[in-house]
Amino acid sequence: MDRTQLLIGVAVALFSIGLVGVVVRRNVLVMLMCMELMLNGVNLSLITFAQQTATTVGAVVVFLVFVVATVEIALAIPIVLLLVRDKHTLDIGAYSELRG
Amino acid sequence: MLTLIVVLPLLGFLLNGVLATRLGGNVVGNRFVTVVGCGLPIASFALVVASCMALAAGGYVPLVEVAYRWAEIGDGSFEIAFYFDRLAAVMALVVTGVGSVIHVYSIGYMKDDPGYGRFFAYLNVFLFFMLLLVLGRSLLVLFVGWEGVGLASYLLIGFWFDDLANARAGKKAFITNRVGDAGFLLGMFLLYTTFGTLDMDRINAAFGAGAAPAVSASLVGLLLFIGATGKSAQIPLHVWLPDAMAGPTPVSALIHAATMVTAGVYLVARMAGVYVHAPEASAVIAVVGVTTAFFAATIALVQTDIKKVLAYSTISQLGFMFLALGVGAYAVAIFHVVTHAFFKACLFLGAGSVIHALGGEQDVRRMGGLAKKIPLTFWTFAVATAAIAGLPPLAGFFSKDEILWYSFASTRGGAPWLWIVAAATALMTAFYMFRLLWLTFLGRSRMSAEVEHHVHESPWSMTGVLVVLAVLSAVGGFIAVPHFLEPQLALPAVHESLHAAETPLVVVSVVLALAGLAAAAFLFGGPSERVERLRARFAGVHRVLSAKYFVDELYARLIGRPLVWISDRVFLRLGDRALLDGTLHGMAALGRGTGRVLARIQTGSLHLYAWLVLAGIAGALIWSSRHG
Amino acid sequence: MATIEGLLRQLDTLLLVVCAFGALAAAVTMLFLREPMRVALALVTSMILLGGIYGLLGVHFVAAFQVLIYVGAVMVFIVYAIMLLERREVEVRRYSRLVVPGIAGLVVLPGAIVASVWKPLPSPVHELGDVSFGIGAFSVAFLTEYWLLFELTSVLLVAAVVAAVAVLGVGRKDARRG
Repeated sequence: MDRTQLLIGVAVALFSIGLVGVVVRRNVLVMLMCMELMLNGVNLSLITFAQQTATTVGAVVVFLVFVVATVEIALAIPIVLLLVRDKHTLDIGAYSELRG
Repeated sequence: MLTLIVVLPLLGFLLNGVLATRLGGNVVGNRFVTVVGCGLPIASFALVVASCMALAAGGYVPLVEVAYRWAEIGDGSFEIAFYFDRLAAVMALVVTGVGSVIHVYSIGYMKDDPGYGRFFAYLNVFLFFMLLLVLGRSLLVLFVGWEGVGLASYLLIGFWFDDLANARAGKKAFITNRVGDAGFLLGMFLLYTTFGTLDMDRINAAFGAGAAPAVSASLVGLLLFIGATGKSAQIPLHVWLPDAMAGPTPVSALIHAATMVTAGVYLVARMAGVYVHAPEASAVIAVVGVTTAFFAATIALVQTDIKKVLAYSTISQLGFMFLALGVGAYAVAIFHVVTHAFFKACLFLGAGSVIHALGGEQDVRRMGGLAKKIPLTFWTFAVATAAIAGLPPLAGFFSKDEILWYSFASTRGGAPWLWIVAAATALMTAFYMFRLLWLTFLGRSRMSAEVEHHVHESPWSMTGVLVVLAVLSAVGGFIAVPHFLEPQLALPAVHESLHAAETPLVVVSVVLALAGLAAAAFLFGGPSERVERLRARFAGVHRVLSAKYFVDELYARLIGRPLVWISDRVFLRLGDRALLDGTLHGMAALGRGTGRVLARIQTGSLHLYAWLVLAGIAGALIWSSRHG
Repeated sequence: MATIEGLLRQLDTLLLVVCAFGALAAAVTMLFLREPMRVALALVTSMILLGGIYGLLGVHFVAAFQVLIYVGAVMVFIVYAIMLLERREVEVRRYSRLVVPGIAGLVVLPGAIVASVWKPLPSPVHELGDVSFGIGAFSVAFLTEYWLLFELTSVLLVAAVVAAVAVLGVGRKDARRG
């Protein structure tokens, strides 16, 4: 296994763990953090491929991911704050009112 | 000129129909309606006379006039063309002549009716369609006239439509006619596909051309006869004519005695070229005719409404005409059409005069002793009754006698049993007609005092017409119609051996007529116990005859009820509710059910949504790596 | 010289492996820890180690950004939020109802991704770490070829500020509640 395969494997693992974390954990903030983990996994794969093909486009996209992650968290935390102010709990089961 | 004959009554219909009714705002008065409504038919009659003279001057070569080319389909074209030969001349004279006098009669009869303008409009439109019928060259034009007179009949039977029974009678007439028309249409289709034309003169020529025809003449003949059955009230489609007496009496006289019901007879006579080659169809026609004549006469024996007696009498006389057609004596049938028009119209209009005099009474059990009070009506009625009974030398004697003779001796289907049944019918005809005369005019008065007080003779517009028609009933037999039509409609050959029987048979028919007269005078001229005893002895027969053999009830049970059942059970409940509505409801339920099932995915649980994303990615990747 | 280079290369690889597995281990513990604060610290560890990987790959500026933005801004913000919301916390259960499907997904998903990506992975043109580009090349690329994306990020940031103001109701009279 060379370096590329190792790093790609790690990236895939990080992404999967993040997604599964969103599925299995109940705490809202923990779910947010798992989403950040997913983004990190994606970043790693982008950098690996950028290095491999010796282009800069991968790094550019990584930078954009940074920006988006920042913006996302800047808005997600206030939303969580408002939700918690209403329901007085961090359990995501309390926020399931949009039912069919 | 032929087109003008047909169009003038149509013009009358349009003028009166728009200006003299609520449609146009009632802008004209009764005088205008009278002038237009009677003047135009009289003008038509004058033109018919002129055309007859033109025909004679031209050596009786048929006049043909093409009015309008309607459609060209493939090789053939459909035209509105008029054809004037001897037969058309006779029929047109009867239609316009008798029609015009009945229009004049209506002036007095319908004087106080609020629908005066509408009445004359309908009468004119009837005349228009009837002229289309008799003058048309092709079966298509005839059929348009055929349906049109049916429409006019419907409108006129239900003229006083505020009474629901009248409207129902009109409906019954129209629907029964349509049943017959199915056969007519099939016959037309058959003729068109075989010959490529519907022109009657061409079809007759094609059948007479000598080679074996491409289609069975009997089949065509039977199909056309089915149409004639409906229009001319033969068994089994006769049920509408007695009910049609709900219309005003001039209508009964014109449409249901003189002209429309003879359209079936005209059709068969016109298509004689087909029927001479169709012995089976002719036999059927003869049997149906004589059977209808006999049964209608038996029913007429016990009827108590003056118009119903005349209605059944009409059915019976039409049966005689078809008997003549069935044995090949086409010209004789047309002769009887002419004489029948004279005396039946006179009888109906006389009945109308009686009803008018009594202020609406139609039941003969409440009449009697009118001879002195309304003498003109009485004498014209008596002459017409003698004519229909067949007393010489009045018109009915000549035509009925010819029919009886040919039913016995014609080589084209004449048989002794036909003569026997026809002679029995003639006996009954004389009997019930004189019964009617006695009960209505003679004997003691059975009217209520109030009605008796108001009895008065009808105005000259009505009695004048009665006189004219009575004179025609008396001398009309001397117009040698069969002789006139011979070059076109040859009379059938007669068995050589039976020639000697001709004079004895004439004597027998006169004796029968006198016997009918004597029996009626005996029973109804004397004290009423004689009739009561007779009725008590044959009570069961009397009941069956009074109920017209329960034919209407039979139809209602055999045809009406199953149809209603099918409509309700099969079409309404099964077809409409279960199938159509069920399909629509089912589709809606399907949508709703699917929605309900799919809504279970929307649980509100973010975990489930995220897991579905995971499953989707995994699934898509596996699928693409398999099929990549 | 060749041996020192070989030794350095081996050290390089060793560090890379250590960082990679470390990041992975830290991520895995995120699934198990009960307290959100500990989860946050595990995530911080993972991110720093990832930064190390970026550095070992030669893209030092990305490593700097990783630590500065991700750890320094994002994770600090999350830690603040955890601290603020801690006292409201009623006993929250750790796992949802979809644990078993989640574990199944954890096995299937990487397998599916790897199955579709592994084979077609191109043979390395360059060995990792050989090519490194600095911030100069990065900036030039950003401002010439991908300048549109650069401008769009500024728009996105403005939109985010507006959204944050709207969410929190800054300036609304009834927003000052608690």
